[in-house]
Amino acid sequence: MKNVILKNKILLSILLIVSILILVFVYNDYYLYKTPILKITKIETKEKANDRNKEIIYEQKITGIILNGKHKNEVYELENITSKSGVYDEQINKNSELFLDISNDKISIIGIKRDKYIVILIVLFIDLIILVGKSKSIRILLSLLVNVIVSSIVIFWYQNHYNDINILFLFLPISVMFIVLSLFITNGKNKKTLAAIISSIISLFISFSLSIIILKLYNNTIPYWNMEYIEIITDYKNLYYVNILLCGLGAIMDIAITMASSIKELIEKDSNITLDSLLKSGKEISKDITGTMTNVMLFTCYTAVIPMFLLALKNRMTIANTIHMYGQLEMIRVLTSSISIVLCVPISLYVSVYILKRWKHD
Amino acid sequence: MIKILSLILFLLLLLVGKKQGLKTFICFYLSYFLLIIYIVFMGYGFNAIIVSLIICVIESLISLFLLNGYNIKTKASFMSITIVLIIMFIIIFLIGKHANIQGFSYESIESIGIFMFDINYNMTDVIIGMYLVCTIGTIIDTSISISSSINEIYENNRKLSQNELFESAMNIGRDILATTINTLYFALIASFIAFFIWHRAESIEYIINYKVFAQDVIELLLCFIASILIIPITSYICSNKLINSDKQK
Repeated sequence: MKNVILKNKILLSILLIVSILILVFVYNDYYLYKTPILKITKIETKEKANDRNKEIIYEQKITGIILNGKHKNEVYELENITSKSGVYDEQINKNSELFLDISNDKISIIGIKRDKYIVILIVLFIDLIILVGKSKSIRILLSLLVNVIVSSIVIFWYQNHYNDINILFLFLPISVMFIVLSLFITNGKNKKTLAAIISSIISLFISFSLSIIILKLYNNTIPYWNMEYIEIITDYKNLYYVNILLCGLGAIMDIAITMASSIKELIEKDSNITLDSLLKSGKEISKDITGTMTNVMLFTCYTAVIPMFLLALKNRMTIANTIHMYGQLEMIRVLTSSISIVLCVPISLYVSVYILKRWKHD
Repeated sequence: MIKILSLILFLLLLLVGKKQGLKTFICFYLSYFLLIIYIVFMGYGFNAIIVSLIICVIESLISLFLLNGYNIKTKASFMSITIVLIIMFIIIFLIGKHANIQGFSYESIESIGIFMFDINYNMTDVIIGMYLVCTIGTIIDTSISISSSINEIYENNRKLSQNELFESAMNIGRDILATTINTLYFALIASFIAFFIWHRAESIEYIINYKVFAQDVIELLLCFIASILIIPITSYICSNKLINSDKQK
């Protein structure tokens, strides 16, 4: 017992030290950048006289010093114009670090350094998952890492081939790969995993086909022209279908593995359980697990429309028009993934019972 | 289109969940209207952060007490959700105020170009509120799952101590966490495909500091963090409440 506590203390200290080291590193990573980074030493913000617009416009006079590259330690002065709302400009404060373009006579800001905020959250996330997840955390992190690596490879590869490859046909096999890898890594090699994988794949294809059929039927009413980045991608319909495919993917796996675990639990508790009572208990479980999952999809996906909605409403567009124009695409995504969640419940119930119960007799 | 999909969802929920399915559907649409009301209230100029906090509380009330009834487990869930909401609010507020991630970026100009930008409404507050509302779905989901299972365990074995109950709740939480992270990852990753095609010529150092990329990655990470935080907090409060309520009897 004492050994365990000591071991925990050592692990905690290592975690703490590593986290601090990473944060120190990311707060001083300027030398890694090729673009000159400006640290602001002085910033003067003053209201600009403005009678035409109702909104206050600010003029910012920024003085700062370059932190990296061959211009290191040189002092630069520049100006930035920002507004109270900040819809389409950068609100710079004295803690901001700016990327500059100093190749021309006119110095311009090309971006703001945001990497440290992402890294802070990543460190917080990993620390928390290790503290809460204990031994399970390694599998969770590994599965996430594999998913991130696979998606990055696919996306980076597709970046260069986006005009000659049908994105839908690329992502159909990839999504099957996601299912197999994620479930396999988090749950290990056993019958439960197999049941979950098979039910996920069946549910994915049934619900996806259903969604595509409906989308094709109502093709003309879908405001595809409101998709982001549409100007560059000619194959926007297939891109949207891929969005739909991926959106429900994780939720389907969630339902499938929960169902497989519960059925396995029931069989293990009472190995003589009849098929009928197994299905009956499975149906009881299914009532519980659909409940809030649909709301998770709604809240995580639909919130993406908020800035656009707000801008439209503030420009005196009616609520009905705004929902129609800017809410539809996201709502279709939420609804189709909710449909796949619900479809997955009976499918995973029957598949799990079939695999776990029947194979028991063999 | 939306109507047809809603009808299909309704029928499926009714078929699979019967009465509970009907409740789920009602709850789903109540939440949808709540989201719309939330945005409309911001449109009228109410403070975005305050409105989003109120919406989060109302949403947890709806999905806890309407969907799962008023009892010890939902009360415990509600307390835990409130605590996590406060912690997440602090994290989100600090990140939102410092990371300069408000508003739109260059690639949106085609779609937002038709509007005036002088809306006189602080977009930093909007993104803080948006992140809060975004995380509430997964917080509620995880919290209910844990409190239901822990209740089930306690019903079956009344002799368990608070510590044992807490440990089994944590174990269930860990299983839930694995799948929740997957769900969130895939729900939010899709938007990256188009983003990377658009920015295919840019360097890595440009991308990771880019506003839209930061917005999306931070959203994903905040959802992850919220879904982890809720696990020990619900486990503790729920096990505590269950044991104490028994003592009083």
